[in-house]
Amino acid sequence: MNNFILSSLLFFFQEASAAPAGDAMSAMKEGLKHPDLSKFLVVGALLFIIGVAGVLTRRNIIVIFMSIELILNAANLNFIAMSRYLEATGSANALTGQIFTVFVIVVAAAEAAIGLGIVIALYRNKETIWIDEIDLLKW
Amino acid sequence: MPLSSYESLFFWIFAIAAIFAGLLTVMARNAVHSALFLISSLVAVAALFVLAGAEFIAGVQILVYVGGVMVLFLFVIMLVNVSAEEMGREEIFNKQRQVTTSLIFCFLLVLGLLYAVNKGAEVLTRQNLAAREQLAEQQTNQDARLRRSGTGTSRITKDTEAVGAVLYRYASLPFEIASILLLVAIIGSVMLARTLKQEASADDVDPDVLKDEAIKDPELLNLDAASQ
Repeated sequence: MNNFILSSLLFFFQEASAAPAGDAMSAMKEGLKHPDLSKFLVVGALLFIIGVAGVLTRRNIIVIFMSIELILNAANLNFIAMSRYLEATGSANALTGQIFTVFVIVVAAAEAAIGLGIVIALYRNKETIWIDEIDLLKW
Repeated sequence: MPLSSYESLFFWIFAIAAIFAGLLTVMARNAVHSALFLISSLVAVAALFVLAGAEFIAGVQILVYVGGVMVLFLFVIMLVNVSAEEMGREEIFNKQRQVTTSLIFCFLLVLGLLYAVNKGAEVLTRQNLAAREQLAEQQTNQDARLRRSGTGTSRITKDTEAVGAVLYRYASLPFEIASILLLVAIIGSVMLARTLKQEASADDVDPDVLKDEAIKDPELLNLDAASQ
């Protein structure tokens, strides 16, 4: 049982670069001590999944919007992590990731403004924020 | 690229904080609590941005997301009636079957994404390790030569300067397009949020709809006439 937990933890936090196979424990410690690109990406992936789960399971349309913000933010984290990685490899256009993040934030702001406008208009006409009751296009 | 000493400690603190706050955002019963948890998640991610050396983006994240978008969310939560959800009279999640299916889907997505990330990172980190260490050393030397801040305890990074230069040199057209997008969003949300009365006084309602609504509220016709 312990072994299973350890190996599943290793699956999440395996340090890709260092240590020969078999020395997985010290590789994991190394990974915990020096989080690198893959750790940033894992955090981004988990945030993304949480956002997707929120969009798929919640009924409140406002919370669904918040989950979408979470998804966009996870994408931003990936952009920044990649930008940092490229900076460390000496790439010429390492800052592109940061620029892209600015645009993602702009689009997220526009999306929130429009989406919440729609929510207000919908609430005024249908008196509900539950998505399963908003079935105007269903027949 | 790898963080070290205190940086890695803060990385884990903020990473776990971001993920837990994200989870609570999705699971909170009260929409206001959801919004507040989302704010903490965004702040934690901004801290991760700082750790990754993107100070400008972290500032933008705090100002735009936390200061702007989330305040907008809180306003809208205030405008709509969510008391049924808070009292526990309404189910906050979808039906059992939908939730189960989507959670299975999410679990598969987690496995796939983490597998891909680990495989990809393996390849990326294996490439030219030696050259990268040399570059990191160079970077450290460069950082040591940066100007000291007013308190003398830390150094002023050149990140904001570099981002500004790249933004206007290579992305000035997308920048302008983004400004137009924001303008359209402002106009669109103002148009969407108008009441029927406001629409009638701007003579912007379908005549048939106006006739129907005027039975309930005869004032609407006068508004229409006044505008002409």
